[in-house]
Amino acid sequence: MVGALEVEGLTKVFGRRVAVDGLSFTARPGEVVGLLGPNGAGKTTTIRLLSTVLKPTDGRFAVAGVESTEPARIRRRVGVLPESSGYPGYVTGTDYLVYHARLFGVERRAAAELAGKLIAGVDLAERAGSRISTYSRGMRQRLGVARAMVNDPDVVLLDEPTLGLDPAGQRQMLGIVRRIAGERGATVVLSTHMLHEVEQVCSRVLILDGGKVVVSGTVDEVTRAVAVQRSGRLRVPPGLVERAREVLDDVSGVSCEVTRERPDVITVRVAGAGDTNTALAAVLAARVPVLAFEVDGARLDDAFLALTRGEPR
Amino acid sequence: MTKGPSWRVVAVQESRDLWVSGRGPVLLFAYSVLLSVISYLAGTNQVLNFLEQREAVNLTLQVAVTVGVLVTLLVSADAVSGERERGTLESLLLTPMSRRGILVGKLTAALSLWGAAFLVGIPYLWVLGRGVELVGKALVLGVAVGTVLAVALAAFGLLVSAVSNSNKASLAVSFLVLLALFAPAQLPPMPTSWIGDAITRVNPLGSATTYLSAVLVKGHDWTRDLSYLISPVVALLVAGGLLVAVGPRFVRLIGGVNGS
Repeated sequence: MVGALEVEGLTKVFGRRVAVDGLSFTARPGEVVGLLGPNGAGKTTTIRLLSTVLKPTDGRFAVAGVESTEPARIRRRVGVLPESSGYPGYVTGTDYLVYHARLFGVERRAAAELAGKLIAGVDLAERAGSRISTYSRGMRQRLGVARAMVNDPDVVLLDEPTLGLDPAGQRQMLGIVRRIAGERGATVVLSTHMLHEVEQVCSRVLILDGGKVVVSGTVDEVTRAVAVQRSGRLRVPPGLVERAREVLDDVSGVSCEVTRERPDVITVRVAGAGDTNTALAAVLAARVPVLAFEVDGARLDDAFLALTRGEPR
Repeated sequence: MTKGPSWRVVAVQESRDLWVSGRGPVLLFAYSVLLSVISYLAGTNQVLNFLEQREAVNLTLQVAVTVGVLVTLLVSADAVSGERERGTLESLLLTPMSRRGILVGKLTAALSLWGAAFLVGIPYLWVLGRGVELVGKALVLGVAVGTVLAVALAAFGLLVSAVSNSNKASLAVSFLVLLALFAPAQLPPMPTSWIGDAITRVNPLGSATTYLSAVLVKGHDWTRDLSYLISPVVALLVAGGLLVAVGPRFVRLIGGVNGS
């Protein structure tokens, strides 16, 4: 056992449908692993398997050395924010956390102290005594994260924690995720559709499609391995657009066009990754000032689309 | 983490849910209105007031037990399937609390409604039976027989709730079963025959109310007709046994017999 979370050949079959197919990965303490994939890729099923809410059809996993054959012990070591978690509206945030701490065997007084700390840790101290029915979506999500921490887990599984949150709420949630991994040293598995979130907080990424891992690695590794640069947008001074086009037309493997809507922007298409650099070098060599150059196909979302929608790689 | 979680934690929270969220008080209020009407009619109506006091006590006790058991069944039928639909079950399943502990906690909370319902019924029985010494006997029999029925039907309701795919299905099945048990008691008295007697004895609700009538109205000794309590006790053992033995495997995120 090396990692806080070790997964080997995890498989879940519903009837004839294979929801998760031979998933394997390892995560270290303090690491944030992004679980990416389109709808139906198996992300939520993976979270539910790792949280022991569902039983795997095949495979195994271990959390901090505890094998998946001991679900009750596993539950003591994982904290989970489910995708569509419901909350009892009539109880206060504090009472809700006290109840869940008590479900983990914490004594009443200690549970009250713990609830106070956790609710402050997710920036809800001012609303701790309010009924949950008065909470916004973002506040409920943060309360859910606080609940996931009542047992001081080794592994935290967050299923779409920023779903439905405004940009400020998303930023706040990502800050909490960073703190969980950075300050507490917990391993975080973050299932999300929001690719920019993964780029911001995840040290590693697994992209799922059809229940299988199609690629894994750091964000840079995945981007470089999959997202071949194919095009870019070059912005030059309006009076030099034609000059830049002439230069680019002479470069082998490069084609370009200018649209009416953006006459100062040249869309550059290249045959291979290195051709982008060649095209840019040619423009600069012709003393055409480059105001901006944005390369498509070099971001995580391009890799995601290429891997999960059958785009040419 | 000092010790393992106890089912009492679930029982306390579920009871709080029942009573603070408003469901319990509303059901109890409706129940007390019904008891008030029955008691008023039994005590004053010209058609019904020919009843002897002991018959009035028996009638009110039977209504108290039957309706008290009904509301207990309805609450337990919502306990698992309702949480599933409201999205609150998953967070409970993520804790180390055993599935059996969850069921026992929920059963205890549902029975708190039966306890409250019986307490509400006591003043009615007291007023109707004043001057008659059988009030004390009615209360003891009521709480004993009613508790057996309440536990049996609450366990049944919880099982249905755990197995059901939807909360509506759970409530509908539980309500239909209670109607099936309740309906024969409303039929005109059958001519004395072994079939009529068998139908009464097989029905836990019917045989329990028959037992109460035998003791309270006919004045039989409480030990004489104990055979009428066989079916309520069997119902308790079967439903309670199934709940403890089989129920936990249905406490899961996906309802239905094949849920996983």
